[in-house]
Amino acid sequence: MPAILLLGLTSIYPTAYSLYMSLFDWNWGQRFNFVGISNYLDLLASERFRTAMWNTIVFTAGAVSVEFVLGLGLALAVSRLSVGRGTVRTLLLVPLMVGGMIVSVIWKVMLDPTLGIISFGLQSVGLPRMGFLGDPGMAMATIIMIDAWWQTAFVFIVLSAGLQALPLEPFEAAEVDGASSFQRFRYLTMPLLRPTILVVLMFRTVDCLKVFAIIFGTTGGGPLTTTESVQVFAYRVAFKQLNMSVSMTTMVIFSVFALLVLLAYQRLLPTEERVS
Amino acid sequence: MRRRRFRPGILVAYAVATVATLASLFPLYWLFVISTKVPRDAFKTPPDLLYVPDFSKYLQIWTTAGFAGAYLNSIVVVLSGVALALLVATPAAYALVRFRVRGGRWLRLWLLLAYTTPEFLFVIPMYVLYQSVGLYDSTIGLAVIYQVFAIPFAVWLIQSFLGEVPRELADAARVDGATELQTLLRVYLPLAAPGLAATAILVGVNMWNEVTIALSLTFDNAKTVQVAVAGFRGYAAIRWQEMAAAAVAAVVPMIVFAGIAQRFIVKGLTFGAVK
Repeated sequence: MPAILLLGLTSIYPTAYSLYMSLFDWNWGQRFNFVGISNYLDLLASERFRTAMWNTIVFTAGAVSVEFVLGLGLALAVSRLSVGRGTVRTLLLVPLMVGGMIVSVIWKVMLDPTLGIISFGLQSVGLPRMGFLGDPGMAMATIIMIDAWWQTAFVFIVLSAGLQALPLEPFEAAEVDGASSFQRFRYLTMPLLRPTILVVLMFRTVDCLKVFAIIFGTTGGGPLTTTESVQVFAYRVAFKQLNMSVSMTTMVIFSVFALLVLLAYQRLLPTEERVS
Repeated sequence: MRRRRFRPGILVAYAVATVATLASLFPLYWLFVISTKVPRDAFKTPPDLLYVPDFSKYLQIWTTAGFAGAYLNSIVVVLSGVALALLVATPAAYALVRFRVRGGRWLRLWLLLAYTTPEFLFVIPMYVLYQSVGLYDSTIGLAVIYQVFAIPFAVWLIQSFLGEVPRELADAARVDGATELQTLLRVYLPLAAPGLAATAILVGVNMWNEVTIALSLTFDNAKTVQVAVAGFRGYAAIRWQEMAAAAVAAVVPMIVFAGIAQRFIVKGLTFGAVK
């Protein structure tokens, strides 16, 4: 099949090439030498790489939890609406259709410490001016919030579909038996929704690990290196320092990490939902 | 259905839905507001709630910072990328459905791996390759590299749509002497046309919004709209109004397309893991 050929060209070749080049010492435009696994050892010992790994994990954990809580709450709330449910769903999907660079532009405009509407809003209710993206202590939290604005709709829409597909009988039986709405949620909704929840968390986790555009477009990894994710790190190493080998080494290590995360989720899923 | 009784919870649900909708839409509304205010008023505090909108920036952006060229590049990348993906994916999906190739599991695995792979794993090797074969900074180069994601996604989505066509129709066509190609073109494609259109839209929106690869594999000639919007930074100061107008111009078509394909979005988002 031609599809297989194209796949070979566009995904196996680069992966193999990355693995191969990660064993060399190569700066763009220069000759290269074989250095074995020393790139791996240097990188694992590098403070900045470890910071980038840590930042990526913090971002992923933060964004996925915030989006999950908001998305689940919203899905439950919207499922109870009798008027305007379809409209609300359509409107809530809008942020998902905005590209990452434009998300960055929007939030830079809104969060500007002196000119932004959010600063104005905070001041008018008597709160102090805040640095948001420019404040090393707040930048990561701010980026997590931006991602939550952008991607909560994903969690919402998938969980909404999951809720709609739940069987009605257990809920009717529970109501007859006098279960409170919290009990119905805790003992019926959550267990029945578990496979859907895991699928949502898997997709969001894997996607968050790859975070690039909303960091590149807002802070560029700063202030200092407080928001530098692995992909932002790899971009800088490759295209600013022109150190192709180290960048490829980074991506080999990181891809293995991402793959392990994916496998961990696959283990949690019920067998019929697994693909590996 | 559960019995409908009035519960205070319903009020909370409406309140939550309203707040969430406003929070989702306000940033985009504000972007539009900034783009239609004159520089003097755009960041005035407190902001003017009523003002005479100034749409001049929507004309200016097309002649500055190479934005029109970038917009055109994105259209070329999306159209050629979508065409390529559908051209490869449709026969593959057809083979999967017609000949009951047991590829469903492998297809899902392939999809999931393509989704998981961080872009830079193949962006940097492709940068090296494209530099040497002359595809660097070209729209066709971008359209090709996007196939890494587009093909598995399109194959999966199309086979799910083709699978809904009754097999009897295809068997009847074969008995009447139609070739496999004719069966695909005359029986399957007309029936699955809405699904194919939705696939094209979802693949196209993803390509239009892609940043990481576009940023790394283009410089100036093939710069895409996402990259160009950020280019309104200028040397002296950020030109907020132009930047906002450009962002609005880049977002609106996607929202329209998404509205058209809305029915299929959930399916497209999770590769059918949730029906």
